[in-house]
Amino acid sequence: MANIQIKIQTETFKPGDWIDQISGNDEACGAVANFLGQVRGGKDLLALELEHYPGVTEKALHKIATQAASRWKLEHALILHRVGRMEIGEPIVLVAASAPHRRAALEATSFMIDVLKTQAPFWKKEHTTSGSHWVETRYEDNAAAAAWLDEKEEEMSR
Amino acid sequence: MSLNIRYFAALKDKMGMAEEAIEAGPDMATGDDLIVWLQARDNTAEALAHPSVRMIINDEITPRSTPIKDGDTIAFCPPFSGG
Repeated sequence: MANIQIKIQTETFKPGDWIDQISGNDEACGAVANFLGQVRGGKDLLALELEHYPGVTEKALHKIATQAASRWKLEHALILHRVGRMEIGEPIVLVAASAPHRRAALEATSFMIDVLKTQAPFWKKEHTTSGSHWVETRYEDNAAAAAWLDEKEEEMSR
Repeated sequence: MSLNIRYFAALKDKMGMAEEAIEAGPDMATGDDLIVWLQARDNTAEALAHPSVRMIINDEITPRSTPIKDGDTIAFCPPFSGG
C-alpha cells in the first residue's frame, strides 16, 4: 500500500523539501511527478485567500489520494494545500506521486489535482484593487474532474 | 429538533453569519425540508436552494434528500474552488 501524506497549512512552503521526502532512498521508485499551483498575478489581483472546512477537507483529500493509490501502482501520494492569505507568486498547492514507472506517477498526479478542484471543500477569494470576490468554479475544472470520475465508473461497470 | 447550521464562503456572506443553531419541528425529514424551512424564515436563504450548492451533513458530503436527525450539523457549501 502506498504511503499517503495529507497536509493543510497556512504557512508557505518550499516544494523541493517535500519532493525530497518522496524521492531518493526508495529502490522501488523510478518516477516522481508533481504539480505545483501558485498564485497568478494580473487582473488587479493583490492577494488570494483560501477558506476551507476543517476536518472535512482532510477527509476529502485522503479519499482522493487513496483513490489514486488504488488506481495506479504508487509508492507515495502527497497532497499539501495552503489556506489563509497568499501573495502573488506564492505556492497554493503541491500534489506529488512516486511510482515504479512514470506513467503511473504522471497520471496519478493529474487525477489528484483535477479531482481536488471539485471534490475538496476549499474556496478561493480574490482581493483586488477594486474589491474582494469569491472565485466561481470554472466549467473546465468540472469537466476535468468528471472525465476521471466517469472513466472510473465506466471501468467499474465493465 | 435542534440543528447546527454552518455556511461557507459566498453563502456565509449572503446569510451574514458563519453558523447558527435552529429549533425545527419534527416534520423536518430531509435536507430539502431544511432549505424550505430556512427560506420561509428569511428570503436571503433562497441562495441555498441553488442546484450548485452542496450539503455536508456531519462531515459527510451528502445529497439533499438525505434524512436529518436531532443534533445534526449541516453545512451549506458553494461549489468548491481549491487547487
